[in-house]
Amino acid sequence: MKTLDDTQRLERSGLRARLMARLQQGDTEACQELFDSIGPSLTYFLRRRVADPQELEDVYQEVFMAIFEARHTYEPGRPFEPWLFAIARNIAVDYSRRRWTRAHWEELVAEPPERPVDTSNAAAPELSSILANLPPDQREAFSMLKLDGLSVEAAAARAGVSVGALKVRAHRAYKSLKRLIAG
Amino acid sequence: MSEAPEIGYEAHHRALVRRLSSEITPSRPLWPVSARLTLWMLIEVGILAWVMSHTRNNFVTKLTHPAYAIEIVFFATAAIICAALALKSAIPGRTQSAKEATMATAFVLIGTVVLIMAQPMATSDSLGDFARNGWRCAIATVRFGTLPWLGLWWLVRRGASMSGWLSGLLVGAGALLFSFAVMRIACPIDEPLHLLTWHLFPALAVIALSTLAGIKWLRFRPRPRY
Repeated sequence: MKTLDDTQRLERSGLRARLMARLQQGDTEACQELFDSIGPSLTYFLRRRVADPQELEDVYQEVFMAIFEARHTYEPGRPFEPWLFAIARNIAVDYSRRRWTRAHWEELVAEPPERPVDTSNAAAPELSSILANLPPDQREAFSMLKLDGLSVEAAAARAGVSVGALKVRAHRAYKSLKRLIAG
Repeated sequence: MSEAPEIGYEAHHRALVRRLSSEITPSRPLWPVSARLTLWMLIEVGILAWVMSHTRNNFVTKLTHPAYAIEIVFFATAAIICAALALKSAIPGRTQSAKEATMATAFVLIGTVVLIMAQPMATSDSLGDFARNGWRCAIATVRFGTLPWLGLWWLVRRGASMSGWLSGLLVGAGALLFSFAVMRIACPIDEPLHLLTWHLFPALAVIALSTLAGIKWLRFRPRPRY
Protein backbone atom coordinates (compact mmCIF):
# COMPACT_ATOMS: atom_id res chain seq x y z
CA MET A 1 0.00 0.00 0.00
CA LYS A 2 1.47 3.28 -1.04
CA THR A 3 -0.06 6.67 -0.35
CA LEU A 4 0.71 9.79 -2.37
CA ASP A 5 1.13 13.23 -0.94
CA ASP A 6 -0.54 16.25 -2.52
CA THR A 7 2.45 17.20 -4.68
CA GLN A 8 2.79 13.69 -6.11
CA ARG A 9 -0.93 13.56 -6.70
CA LEU A 10 -0.83 16.87 -8.57
CA GLU A 11 2.13 15.71 -10.66
CA ARG A 12 0.36 12.48 -11.50
CA SER A 13 -2.80 14.35 -12.40
CA GLY A 14 -0.84 16.71 -14.66
CA LEU A 15 0.90 13.79 -16.35
CA ARG A 16 -2.41 12.03 -16.95
CA ALA A 17 -3.93 15.20 -18.42
CA ARG A 18 -0.99 15.51 -20.83
CA LEU A 19 -1.22 11.83 -21.78
CA MET A 20 -4.95 12.24 -22.40
CA ALA A 21 -4.31 15.21 -24.68
CA ARG A 22 -1.82 13.07 -26.64
CA LEU A 23 -4.27 10.18 -26.71
CA GLN A 24 -6.81 12.48 -28.36
CA GLN A 25 -4.25 13.04 -31.11
CA GLY A 26 -4.04 9.30 -31.67
CA ASP A 27 -0.79 8.59 -29.81
CA THR A 28 -0.66 4.83 -29.10
CA GLU A 29 2.13 5.06 -26.53
CA ALA A 30 0.29 7.74 -24.57
CA CYS A 31 -2.79 5.53 -24.64
CA GLN A 32 -0.93 2.59 -23.14
CA GLU A 33 0.85 4.74 -20.57
CA LEU A 34 -2.36 6.48 -19.52
CA PHE A 35 -4.36 3.26 -19.22
CA ASP A 36 -1.57 1.68 -17.16
CA SER A 37 -1.57 4.71 -14.92
CA ILE A 38 -5.32 4.78 -14.31
CA GLY A 39 -5.76 0.99 -13.98
CA PRO A 40 -5.02 0.77 -10.24
CA SER A 41 -7.08 3.86 -9.39
CA LEU A 42 -10.02 2.50 -11.35
CA THR A 43 -9.73 -0.93 -9.77
CA TYR A 44 -9.78 0.70 -6.34
CA PHE A 45 -12.72 2.91 -7.29
CA LEU A 46 -14.76 0.06 -8.80
CA ARG A 47 -14.03 -2.47 -6.09
CA ARG A 48 -15.99 -0.33 -3.65
CA ARG A 49 -19.00 -0.53 -5.97
CA VAL A 50 -18.77 -4.01 -7.48
CA ALA A 51 -18.44 -6.91 -5.06
CA ASP A 52 -18.20 -9.87 -7.42
CA PRO A 53 -14.69 -10.28 -8.91
CA GLN A 54 -16.01 -11.59 -12.25
CA GLU A 55 -18.43 -8.71 -12.54
CA LEU A 56 -15.65 -6.33 -11.56
CA GLU A 57 -13.64 -7.47 -14.59
CA ASP A 58 -16.59 -6.80 -16.90
CA VAL A 59 -17.25 -3.36 -15.42
CA TYR A 60 -13.54 -2.52 -15.56
CA GLN A 61 -13.49 -3.36 -19.26
CA GLU A 62 -16.65 -1.36 -19.86
CA VAL A 63 -15.15 1.70 -18.18
CA PHE A 64 -12.08 1.54 -20.40
CA MET A 65 -14.22 1.27 -23.50
CA ALA A 66 -16.30 4.23 -22.33
CA ILE A 67 -13.15 6.30 -21.76
CA PHE A 68 -11.99 5.35 -25.21
CA GLU A 69 -15.27 6.29 -26.86
CA ALA A 70 -15.74 9.51 -24.93
CA ARG A 71 -12.14 10.65 -25.40
CA HIS A 72 -13.20 13.58 -27.58
CA THR A 73 -15.18 15.05 -24.66
CA TYR A 74 -12.11 15.58 -22.48
CA GLU A 75 -11.13 19.26 -22.50
CA PRO A 76 -7.33 19.59 -22.61
CA GLY A 77 -6.07 21.79 -19.82
CA ARG A 78 -8.80 20.78 -17.38
CA PRO A 79 -8.22 18.29 -14.52
CA PHE A 80 -8.37 14.75 -15.81
CA GLU A 81 -9.66 12.86 -12.76
CA PRO A 82 -13.14 14.44 -12.49
CA TRP A 83 -13.70 13.49 -16.14
CA LEU A 84 -12.40 9.96 -15.60
CA PHE A 85 -14.36 9.21 -12.44
CA ALA A 86 -17.57 10.73 -13.79
CA ILE A 87 -17.43 8.14 -16.58
CA ALA A 88 -16.49 5.33 -14.17
CA ARG A 89 -19.33 6.29 -11.80
CA ASN A 90 -21.77 6.33 -14.71
CA ILE A 91 -20.80 2.81 -15.75
CA ALA A 92 -20.90 1.59 -12.14
CA VAL A 93 -24.40 3.05 -11.72
CA ASP A 94 -25.49 1.31 -14.93
CA TYR A 95 -24.07 -1.93 -13.58
CA SER A 96 -25.93 -1.55 -10.26
CA ARG A 97 -29.15 -0.87 -12.12
CA ARG A 98 -28.71 -3.94 -14.33
CA ARG A 99 -27.80 -6.05 -11.33
CA TRP A 100 -30.87 -4.93 -9.42
CA THR A 101 -33.11 -5.72 -12.39
CA ARG A 102 -31.51 -9.13 -12.80
CA ALA A 103 -31.78 -9.93 -9.09
CA HIS A 104 -35.42 -8.89 -9.15
CA TRP A 105 -36.07 -11.10 -12.15
CA GLU A 106 -34.28 -14.02 -10.51
CA GLU A 107 -36.37 -13.64 -7.39
CA LEU A 108 -39.43 -13.89 -9.58
CA VAL A 109 -38.27 -17.00 -11.40
CA ALA A 110 -37.00 -18.54 -8.16
CA GLU A 111 -40.61 -18.88 -6.95
CA PRO A 112 -41.62 -22.59 -6.89
CA PRO A 113 -44.11 -23.57 -9.61
CA GLU A 114 -47.72 -23.83 -8.47
CA ARG A 115 -48.38 -27.09 -10.30
CA PRO A 116 -46.24 -30.14 -9.50
CA VAL A 117 -43.73 -30.76 -12.27
CA ASP A 118 -43.09 -34.10 -13.93
CA THR A 119 -40.30 -35.67 -11.91
CA SER A 120 -39.83 -38.77 -14.03
CA ASN A 121 -36.21 -39.64 -14.66
CA ALA A 122 -36.43 -39.52 -18.44
CA ALA A 123 -34.64 -36.18 -18.68
CA ALA A 124 -32.24 -36.73 -15.78
CA PRO A 125 -29.24 -38.18 -17.63
CA GLU A 126 -29.39 -35.40 -20.18
CA LEU A 127 -29.53 -32.72 -17.48
CA SER A 128 -26.58 -34.17 -15.60
CA SER A 129 -24.51 -34.33 -18.78
CA ILE A 130 -25.37 -30.70 -19.55
CA LEU A 131 -24.62 -29.64 -15.98
CA ALA A 132 -21.21 -31.25 -16.30
CA ASN A 133 -20.35 -28.63 -18.92
CA LEU A 134 -20.94 -25.74 -16.53
CA PRO A 135 -18.10 -24.13 -14.55
CA PRO A 136 -18.03 -25.56 -10.99
CA ASP A 137 -19.30 -22.41 -9.24
CA GLN A 138 -22.25 -22.07 -11.63
CA ARG A 139 -23.08 -25.79 -11.37
CA GLU A 140 -23.00 -25.58 -7.60
CA ALA A 141 -25.27 -22.52 -7.57
CA PHE A 142 -27.76 -24.14 -9.95
CA SER A 143 -27.79 -27.45 -8.08
CA MET A 144 -28.35 -25.86 -4.70
CA LEU A 145 -31.16 -23.61 -5.91
CA LYS A 146 -32.95 -25.81 -8.39
CA LEU A 147 -32.12 -29.41 -7.45
CA ASP A 148 -31.64 -29.22 -3.67
CA GLY A 149 -34.34 -26.54 -3.34
CA LEU A 150 -32.32 -24.30 -1.03
CA SER A 151 -33.23 -20.66 -0.59
CA VAL A 152 -30.89 -18.08 -2.12
CA GLU A 153 -29.67 -17.12 1.36
CA ALA A 154 -29.01 -20.72 2.44
CA ALA A 155 -27.24 -21.49 -0.84
CA ALA A 156 -25.08 -18.38 -0.49
CA ALA A 157 -24.14 -19.37 3.07
CA ARG A 158 -23.26 -22.90 1.96
CA ALA A 159 -21.14 -21.64 -0.93
CA GLY A 160 -19.49 -19.06 1.31
CA VAL A 161 -20.33 -16.11 -0.95
CA SER A 162 -22.66 -13.13 -0.73
CA VAL A 163 -26.29 -13.45 -1.77
CA GLY A 164 -25.61 -11.12 -4.71
CA ALA A 165 -22.66 -13.19 -5.91
CA LEU A 166 -24.70 -16.37 -5.65
CA LYS A 167 -27.49 -14.80 -7.70
CA VAL A 168 -25.00 -13.74 -10.34
CA ARG A 169 -23.60 -17.27 -10.53
CA ALA A 170 -27.09 -18.72 -10.82
CA HIS A 171 -28.00 -16.23 -13.52
CA ARG A 172 -24.91 -17.15 -15.49
CA ALA A 173 -25.75 -20.82 -15.02
CA TYR A 174 -29.26 -20.22 -16.43
CA LYS A 175 -27.81 -18.43 -19.42
CA SER A 176 -25.22 -21.17 -20.05
CA LEU A 177 -27.85 -23.89 -19.69
CA LYS A 178 -30.16 -22.12 -22.09
CA ARG A 179 -27.33 -21.91 -24.61
CA LEU A 180 -26.31 -25.55 -24.10
CA ILE A 181 -29.87 -26.86 -24.36
CA ALA A 182 -30.50 -24.79 -27.48
CA GLY A 183 -27.51 -26.59 -28.90
CA MET B 1 -4.61 2.85 -2.42
CA SER B 2 -2.88 0.00 -4.23
CA GLU B 3 -0.48 1.28 -6.86
CA ALA B 4 -0.17 -1.82 -9.02
CA PRO B 5 -3.03 -3.65 -10.68
CA GLU B 6 -4.08 -6.84 -8.95
CA ILE B 7 -2.27 -9.85 -10.37
CA GLY B 8 -5.60 -11.41 -11.40
CA TYR B 9 -6.39 -8.37 -13.49
CA GLU B 10 -2.97 -7.90 -15.00
CA ALA B 11 -3.47 -10.16 -18.03
CA HIS B 12 -6.98 -8.88 -18.58
CA HIS B 13 -5.76 -5.29 -18.34
CA ARG B 14 -2.87 -5.91 -20.75
CA ALA B 15 -5.14 -7.50 -23.34
CA LEU B 16 -7.65 -4.68 -23.03
CA VAL B 17 -5.04 -1.95 -23.39
CA ARG B 18 -3.50 -3.72 -26.38
CA ARG B 19 -6.85 -3.95 -28.14
CA LEU B 20 -7.87 -0.37 -27.45
CA SER B 21 -4.50 1.15 -28.32
CA SER B 22 -4.50 -0.75 -31.61
CA GLU B 23 -7.81 0.91 -32.50
CA ILE B 24 -6.84 4.43 -31.58
CA THR B 25 -7.33 7.21 -34.11
CA PRO B 26 -7.08 10.99 -33.67
CA SER B 27 -10.31 12.42 -32.30
CA ARG B 28 -11.46 15.99 -32.65
CA PRO B 29 -12.13 17.40 -29.16
CA LEU B 30 -15.44 19.14 -28.59
CA TRP B 31 -15.47 22.88 -29.06
CA PRO B 32 -15.53 24.84 -25.81
CA VAL B 33 -18.95 25.41 -24.25
CA SER B 34 -18.75 29.14 -25.03
CA ALA B 35 -18.13 28.48 -28.75
CA ARG B 36 -20.98 25.98 -29.00
CA LEU B 37 -23.29 28.28 -27.05
CA THR B 38 -22.47 31.12 -29.46
CA LEU B 39 -23.29 28.85 -32.38
CA TRP B 40 -26.65 27.98 -30.83
CA MET B 41 -27.36 31.63 -30.06
CA LEU B 42 -26.80 32.49 -33.71
CA ILE B 43 -29.78 30.27 -34.53
CA GLU B 44 -31.84 32.06 -31.88
CA VAL B 45 -30.76 35.50 -33.10
CA GLY B 46 -31.73 34.49 -36.65
CA ILE B 47 -35.21 33.41 -35.47
CA LEU B 48 -35.56 36.57 -33.38
CA ALA B 49 -34.56 38.76 -36.33
CA TRP B 50 -37.06 37.00 -38.60
CA VAL B 51 -39.88 37.39 -36.04
CA MET B 52 -39.07 41.07 -35.45
CA SER B 53 -39.22 41.79 -39.15
CA HIS B 54 -42.46 39.87 -39.74
CA THR B 55 -44.62 40.57 -36.71
CA ARG B 56 -47.50 43.03 -36.68
CA ASN B 57 -47.15 43.39 -32.94
CA ASN B 58 -45.97 46.86 -31.93
CA PHE B 59 -43.30 45.43 -29.64
CA VAL B 60 -41.01 48.50 -29.83
CA THR B 61 -43.60 50.64 -28.03
CA LYS B 62 -44.44 47.83 -25.63
CA LEU B 63 -40.80 47.46 -24.64
CA THR B 64 -41.06 50.80 -22.82
CA HIS B 65 -43.35 49.03 -20.31
CA PRO B 66 -41.09 47.48 -17.68
CA ALA B 67 -43.26 44.37 -17.16
CA TYR B 68 -43.17 43.48 -20.87
CA ALA B 69 -39.41 44.05 -21.11
CA ILE B 70 -38.81 42.02 -17.92
CA GLU B 71 -40.79 39.08 -19.28
CA ILE B 72 -38.80 38.93 -22.51
CA VAL B 73 -35.39 39.53 -20.95
CA PHE B 74 -35.94 37.13 -18.06
CA PHE B 75 -37.22 34.24 -20.20
CA ALA B 76 -34.47 34.75 -22.79
CA THR B 77 -31.79 34.89 -20.09
CA ALA B 78 -33.16 31.74 -18.41
CA ALA B 79 -33.09 30.02 -21.82
CA ILE B 80 -29.45 30.95 -22.43
CA ILE B 81 -28.44 29.75 -18.95
CA CYS B 82 -30.26 26.45 -19.55
CA ALA B 83 -28.57 26.03 -22.93
CA ALA B 84 -25.16 26.62 -21.36
CA LEU B 85 -25.94 24.09 -18.63
CA ALA B 86 -27.14 21.60 -21.25
CA LEU B 87 -23.84 21.88 -23.11
CA LYS B 88 -21.91 21.47 -19.86
CA SER B 89 -23.99 18.43 -18.95
CA ALA B 90 -22.57 16.64 -22.00
CA ILE B 91 -19.02 16.83 -20.64
CA PRO B 92 -18.23 14.17 -18.01
CA GLY B 93 -17.07 15.68 -14.73
CA ARG B 94 -18.30 19.21 -15.47
CA THR B 95 -20.51 19.72 -12.44
CA GLN B 96 -23.74 21.62 -12.91
CA SER B 97 -23.65 24.91 -11.10
CA ALA B 98 -26.48 25.10 -8.56
CA LYS B 99 -26.15 28.88 -8.62
CA GLU B 100 -26.81 29.03 -12.39
CA ALA B 101 -29.70 26.57 -12.14
CA THR B 102 -31.24 28.59 -9.31
CA MET B 103 -30.85 31.79 -11.30
CA ALA B 104 -32.58 30.28 -14.35
CA THR B 105 -35.45 29.00 -12.19
CA ALA B 106 -35.77 32.38 -10.47
CA PHE B 107 -35.86 34.19 -13.83
CA VAL B 108 -38.66 31.91 -15.05
CA LEU B 109 -40.66 32.25 -11.83
CA ILE B 110 -40.29 36.03 -11.65
CA GLY B 111 -41.09 36.33 -15.36
CA THR B 112 -44.25 34.24 -14.85
CA VAL B 113 -45.34 36.24 -11.83
CA VAL B 114 -44.78 39.52 -13.71
CA LEU B 115 -46.75 38.13 -16.64
CA ILE B 116 -49.69 37.23 -14.40
CA MET B 117 -49.62 40.50 -12.47
CA ALA B 118 -49.11 42.82 -15.44
CA GLN B 119 -52.69 42.70 -16.70
CA PRO B 120 -56.05 41.45 -15.44
CA MET B 121 -57.16 38.08 -16.77
CA ALA B 122 -59.93 38.26 -19.37
CA THR B 123 -62.33 35.52 -18.38
CA SER B 124 -65.30 36.91 -20.32
CA ASP B 125 -64.24 35.42 -23.71
CA SER B 126 -66.09 32.31 -24.83
CA LEU B 127 -64.13 29.07 -24.80
CA GLY B 128 -64.42 28.90 -28.59
CA ASP B 129 -62.85 32.34 -29.09
CA PHE B 130 -60.21 31.56 -26.52
CA ALA B 131 -59.21 28.36 -28.35
CA ARG B 132 -59.52 29.91 -31.83
CA ASN B 133 -57.14 32.74 -30.89
CA GLY B 134 -54.83 30.44 -28.99
CA TRP B 135 -54.09 27.26 -30.86
CA ARG B 136 -52.03 29.04 -33.52
CA CYS B 137 -49.85 30.50 -30.75
CA ALA B 138 -49.30 27.03 -29.28
CA ILE B 139 -48.16 25.75 -32.66
CA ALA B 140 -45.96 28.79 -33.23
CA THR B 141 -44.34 28.35 -29.80
CA VAL B 142 -43.41 24.79 -30.67
CA ARG B 143 -42.37 25.79 -34.21
CA PHE B 144 -40.03 28.55 -33.05
CA GLY B 145 -38.51 26.12 -30.56
CA THR B 146 -37.97 23.24 -32.98
CA LEU B 147 -34.83 24.35 -34.79
CA PRO B 148 -33.03 25.56 -31.63
CA TRP B 149 -34.07 22.31 -29.91
CA LEU B 150 -32.68 20.20 -32.74
CA GLY B 151 -29.47 22.25 -32.80
CA LEU B 152 -28.94 22.04 -29.06
CA TRP B 153 -29.85 18.34 -29.01
CA TRP B 154 -27.23 17.65 -31.66
CA LEU B 155 -24.59 19.66 -29.81
CA VAL B 156 -25.33 17.78 -26.58
CA ARG B 157 -25.47 14.42 -28.38
CA ARG B 158 -21.94 15.04 -29.68
CA GLY B 159 -20.76 14.95 -26.07
CA ALA B 160 -21.23 12.25 -23.46
CA SER B 161 -24.02 13.08 -21.06
CA MET B 162 -23.90 11.26 -17.75
CA SER B 163 -27.51 12.15 -16.96
CA GLY B 164 -29.89 11.77 -19.88
CA TRP B 165 -32.97 13.23 -18.20
CA LEU B 166 -31.10 16.32 -17.02
CA SER B 167 -29.59 16.96 -20.44
CA GLY B 168 -33.00 16.44 -22.06
CA LEU B 169 -34.63 18.82 -19.59
CA LEU B 170 -31.99 21.50 -20.14
CA VAL B 171 -32.08 21.16 -23.92
CA GLY B 172 -35.86 21.51 -23.85
CA ALA B 173 -35.75 24.44 -21.42
CA GLY B 174 -33.07 26.23 -23.45
CA ALA B 175 -35.00 25.97 -26.70
CA LEU B 176 -38.57 26.45 -25.48
CA LEU B 177 -38.01 29.24 -22.95
CA PHE B 178 -36.36 31.23 -25.72
CA SER B 179 -39.27 30.37 -27.96
CA PHE B 180 -41.60 31.76 -25.27
CA ALA B 181 -39.62 35.02 -25.26
CA VAL B 182 -39.75 35.16 -29.07
CA MET B 183 -43.50 34.60 -28.97
CA ARG B 184 -43.93 37.57 -26.64
CA ILE B 185 -42.60 39.63 -29.55
CA ALA B 186 -44.51 37.78 -32.26
CA CYS B 187 -47.93 37.67 -30.59
CA PRO B 188 -49.92 40.89 -30.06
CA ILE B 189 -52.03 39.39 -27.25
CA ASP B 190 -50.82 40.30 -23.74
CA GLU B 191 -53.64 38.75 -21.76
CA PRO B 192 -52.20 36.49 -19.00
CA LEU B 193 -54.59 33.54 -19.42
CA HIS B 194 -53.80 33.39 -23.14
CA LEU B 195 -50.05 33.56 -22.46
CA LEU B 196 -50.16 30.89 -19.77
CA THR B 197 -52.39 28.51 -21.73
CA TRP B 198 -51.17 28.91 -25.30
CA HIS B 199 -47.55 30.07 -24.84
CA LEU B 200 -46.18 28.77 -21.54
CA PHE B 201 -48.07 25.50 -21.25
CA PRO B 202 -47.01 24.18 -24.71
CA ALA B 203 -43.43 25.18 -23.89
CA LEU B 204 -43.57 23.24 -20.62
CA ALA B 205 -45.15 20.25 -22.37
CA VAL B 206 -42.32 20.12 -24.93
CA ILE B 207 -39.75 20.49 -22.12
CA ALA B 208 -41.34 17.45 -20.43
CA LEU B 209 -41.20 15.48 -23.69
CA SER B 210 -37.58 16.53 -24.16
CA THR B 211 -36.79 15.23 -20.65
CA LEU B 212 -38.32 11.86 -21.53
CA ALA B 213 -36.44 11.77 -24.83
CA GLY B 214 -33.24 12.55 -22.94
CA ILE B 215 -33.73 9.53 -20.68
CA LYS B 216 -34.00 7.33 -23.74
CA TRP B 217 -31.48 8.82 -26.14
CA LEU B 218 -29.10 11.27 -24.50
CA ARG B 219 -27.40 9.22 -21.80
CA PHE B 220 -23.95 8.13 -22.87
CA ARG B 221 -23.51 4.39 -23.14
CA PRO B 222 -20.42 2.81 -24.70
CA ARG B 223 -21.16 0.53 -27.62
CA PRO B 224 -20.32 -3.10 -26.87
CA ARG B 225 -17.20 -4.00 -28.87
CA TYR B 226 -15.99 -7.38 -27.74
